[in-house]
Amino acid sequence: MKVKVVSHILEANDRIAEENRRLFDKFGVYVINLMSAPGAGKTSLIENTIKEISGKIKIGVIEGDIAGSDDAKRIKSLNIPVVQINTGGACHLDANMIREVIDGFPLKGLDLLIIENVGNLVCPAEFRVGENIKVMLLSITEGDDKPLKYPLMFQESSALVLNKIDLLPYTNVNIEKIKKNSQALNPKLKIFEVSCRTGEGLNKWIKWLQSLIK
Amino acid sequence: MHELSIAQSLLDIAVKNCKQNGYKRIESIKVKIGKASGIMPDALLFAFDAVKIGSIAEKASLNIEEIPVSGYCECCKKNFTVDEAFIISCPMCGNISIKIESGRELHIEEIDVF
Ligand SMILES: Nc1nc2c(ncn2[C@@H]2O[C@H](COP(=O)(O)OP(=O)(O)O)[C@@H](O)[C@H]2O)c(=O)[nH]1
Ligand SMILES: [Mg+2]
Ligand SMILES: [Zn+2]
Repeated sequence: MKVKVVSHILEANDRIAEENRRLFDKFGVYVINLMSAPGAGKTSLIENTIKEISGKIKIGVIEGDIAGSDDAKRIKSLNIPVVQINTGGACHLDANMIREVIDGFPLKGLDLLIIENVGNLVCPAEFRVGENIKVMLLSITEGDDKPLKYPLMFQESSALVLNKIDLLPYTNVNIEKIKKNSQALNPKLKIFEVSCRTGEGLNKWIKWLQSLIK
Repeated sequence: MHELSIAQSLLDIAVKNCKQNGYKRIESIKVKIGKASGIMPDALLFAFDAVKIGSIAEKASLNIEEIPVSGYCECCKKNFTVDEAFIISCPMCGNISIKIESGRELHIEEIDVF
């Protein structure tokens, strides 16, 4: 006996993501799902963002890692509410993992919640967690072939932060090629060139972030 | 390896639909996977064989229909279908004003139950 089903395979995840989103909306929290390869500088960008604007905007952070809580400790030392999720092997966060931690999270009074996804350029792009936007980070040392090798993440993101531009003199990376191919994949993609080490370019990113939160 | 999560999700949907329709076993599951979905069919088959154990789909086969990337070029005013998983410009004229119409599918279509 054949039964027609015709549903999206990730419908269960998407449904939970929508519930999370409704909760975030209720508390007036803007949510960013931050994705990149391991070591591109997600935690560094979060730290810099906190240092720049936590006086004006109340920020909370959810840290996703396969194991360990080093990133959460880094954020906690800045006096920011933070919770660590260990995915225990899974290469991405999903909506249910977020749902399980936001029950006990102080959403009240927050303006911005940054969710640091597990370091991975492939899998996180597929799983909504209830975010308003996805932001992708690419460190320039990863090479200019990445947009065409990992297009899904570039297509799903609203903004691309090109990090570690302080290292440009030490590489042969073609940053214009990264920008051109990323925007060909996603014409609406906002691109920021920054260094979390020197602080260069962060002001534009911060301004844009503030314009979203209102 | 998010194929494991995908396999688990599709198994959950299949099991739910099987029970809702009053059947006890799943014989096969048909899915449509776009070439640009980021899912590797082989990895999905492998993951499905792992998650189905102990479920009412334990003996089920997974039939994957791969959907190629297709789209429409505003410049050529024509549809196209390509073999690649990803393109950023029209395969006929090279223009970037294209609309991708298929290739991102991740759908469960049909289950065979008894
Ligand atoms: N030179 C340089 N190093 C950076 C920059 N941003 C981050 N790093 C370094 O890159 C490493 C990984 O950063 P981290 O923020 O932990 O990356 P994550 O794994 O994406 O969270 C750390 O040693 C950082 O100090 C940058 O803009 N320039
Ligand atoms: Mg980190
Ligand atoms: Zn064309």
